[in-house]
Amino acid sequence: MPFEPNEPQKEIKYEETRIYTDAELNSCSDEELKNFKIKHQIPDLEELENGPWPSFVADAKQEALHRRKLADERMLIDRDVVEDMLGQLQVSFDDGETHWKHGGIVGVFGYGGGVIGRYSDLPERYPSIAHFHTIRVNQPASKFYNSDLLRTICDMWEYRGSGLMNLHGSTGDLVLLGTTTEQLEPIFFELTHVLGQDIGGSGSNLRTPSCCIGRARCEFACYDTQNLCYELTQYYQDELHRPAFPYKFKLKFDGCPNGCVASMARSDMSFIGTWRDSIRIDQDTVKAYIAGDVVPNGGAHMGRDWGKFDIHKEVIDLCPTKCMSLVDDELRIDNQECTRCMHCINVMPKALKPGKDNGLSILLGAKAPILEGAQMATLIVPFMKAEPPYDNIKEFIEKVWEFWIEEGKNRERLGELMQRTGLPKFLETIGLPPAPQMIKTPRENPYILWKEEDVPGGWNRNVNEYRTRHKR
Amino acid sequence: MDELKKIIVEFAETSKKTKFYFKDIEKAVQKVNPDAKMREIKNACTALINEGTMIYFSTGSSTMYGLKGKGMMEDPE
Ligand code: HEM
Ligand code: HEM
Ligand code: SF4
Ligand code: SF4
Repeated sequence: MPFEPNEPQKEIKYEETRIYTDAELNSCSDEELKNFKIKHQIPDLEELENGPWPSFVADAKQEALHRRKLADERMLIDRDVVEDMLGQLQVSFDDGETHWKHGGIVGVFGYGGGVIGRYSDLPERYPSIAHFHTIRVNQPASKFYNSDLLRTICDMWEYRGSGLMNLHGSTGDLVLLGTTTEQLEPIFFELTHVLGQDIGGSGSNLRTPSCCIGRARCEFACYDTQNLCYELTQYYQDELHRPAFPYKFKLKFDGCPNGCVASMARSDMSFIGTWRDSIRIDQDTVKAYIAGDVVPNGGAHMGRDWGKFDIHKEVIDLCPTKCMSLVDDELRIDNQECTRCMHCINVMPKALKPGKDNGLSILLGAKAPILEGAQMATLIVPFMKAEPPYDNIKEFIEKVWEFWIEEGKNRERLGELMQRTGLPKFLETIGLPPAPQMIKTPRENPYILWKEEDVPGGWNRNVNEYRTRHKR
Repeated sequence: MDELKKIIVEFAETSKKTKFYFKDIEKAVQKVNPDAKMREIKNACTALINEGTMIYFSTGSSTMYGLKGKGMMEDPE
């Protein structure tokens, strides 16, 4: 079934919503841009333009020139914001410290997140950026939008904000960088009532959930990532907009272990598509790959001479669990040993497909804090079905939240709490049995921990009595 | 609900602090009313926000609650 939104979606037509004329949008020539100097000296920033890659400095200068050419009444916040932002950044380079102040009570009415207050601590020197708040806009599932919507948002943001934005923030949102406090409510109104969008999460709440492209375009998707992401975003609106968590919480959805949104590294709760049965093998197409009739890797490495495709060197020998073999030109997979790494499927997508009894694994506790360094997620649920209305998944999420809200300290991420409590206690609290999949080397690592009441006789036994039967 | 709202406002008014994590509010309420559930307390906070008695304070990475007009400036220090 194709993905269906819960409510009718507004169709945005740029010709109806646009603010600027083509002449206003294309007001700067390349020549002008090359010779353009902003009003502050920014030698270190200009140095950044000399590297091989496009620099944000060049983009920001283009925007600064563009704002110089707009008529006064065509912008609602100061013309100079981009130039002042660059000027202040140069001062930060000189001083080796930031001149932005964190936080504040700004926001839009009734929402506890989505607006991040930013203030300059040099407001006399850079008055236009005295207030320079960030707004997060909830991206559509898999970041699919048409250019009508994007152009409309860009015009609105040029008019009511700095025109600077970043697509997309690491949480997934479209990030609108820099506006005044007075503009926050009008922007919120435009986004929600006129454009049918919502702002995203920030602070101690559920952050904007994000998903891979999934079944929209990818045949590897083991569940409908867009549908699950959309459903949970709608279902947990209160958690998204009205913070009551100890800290931030991120949900991300990968349709298969290729992990295109890297949920395993970037979310407190990571959903990764997988299957319980066997990899589907089309033996004739395997032979066609071996014979060179089908290009491996979907043609991704055709630019160089890799030589003839060698199924042993490129697939079988690289299988991390060594569970593949070729017997009389038949490809065999010992599916019990397969760790679902996707390598063989990626190399021969026409011959191999994920199994049909599919669902997802749930991993918990990834985070990338600035002070302590990154932590990857731990696998907690090896397999769960993922079918609408996803009651099993919601039940699991709520159990984890309940535990975290109860036990977590202020500003403690789920991953840190799990470390503090330890896996056995954590599993007990959320009511899951320990399983070998949770452990990297289960054959060497005792992942079942006995408790006293589970052991006949408890921890106390008479060693002398034991020794009567067992000599040292 | 009204009772929870009253406890929250009293706690916020008498505390030396001006900004509170939700958890601190939760603990304070449960001290007075041990039966109050997390979700009820959250709903009471949301109601206080919606009627303008309380406001959110956010650093971008975490969020706190406070009484409007009590030591919470728009501009952070
Ligand atoms: C032109 C200058 C700037 C550039 C090139 C820039 C670039 C970036 C980049 C690369 C990220 C990380 C995105 C990611 O990890 O996916 C980011 C995040 C962010 N930036 Fe900047 N930034 C700029 C200026 C600013 C300013 C002036 C502010 C606010 C005053 C700001 C606020 C933010 C915020 C709030 C985020 C986090 C967004 C999120 O992850 O949701 N940025 N920026
Ligand atoms: C020396 C300078 C800075 C330090 C030490 C610092 C430190 C931090 C820390 C510790 C966090 C919490 C990280 C976490 O989630 O674990 C944070 C979050 C954040 N900072 Fe700063 N920061 C600095 C400068 C800035 C600047 C200049 C900006 C914007 C212009 C900024 C914007 C943000 C934002 C938007 C977040 C929230 C990110 C999120 O939750 O996704 N920070 N910062
Ligand atoms: S994570 Fe898997 S299903 Fe999702 S887009 Fe990437 S390859 Fe496709
Ligand atoms: S998916 Fe990975 S582990 Fe499984 S058979 Fe293929 S290469 Fe081996």
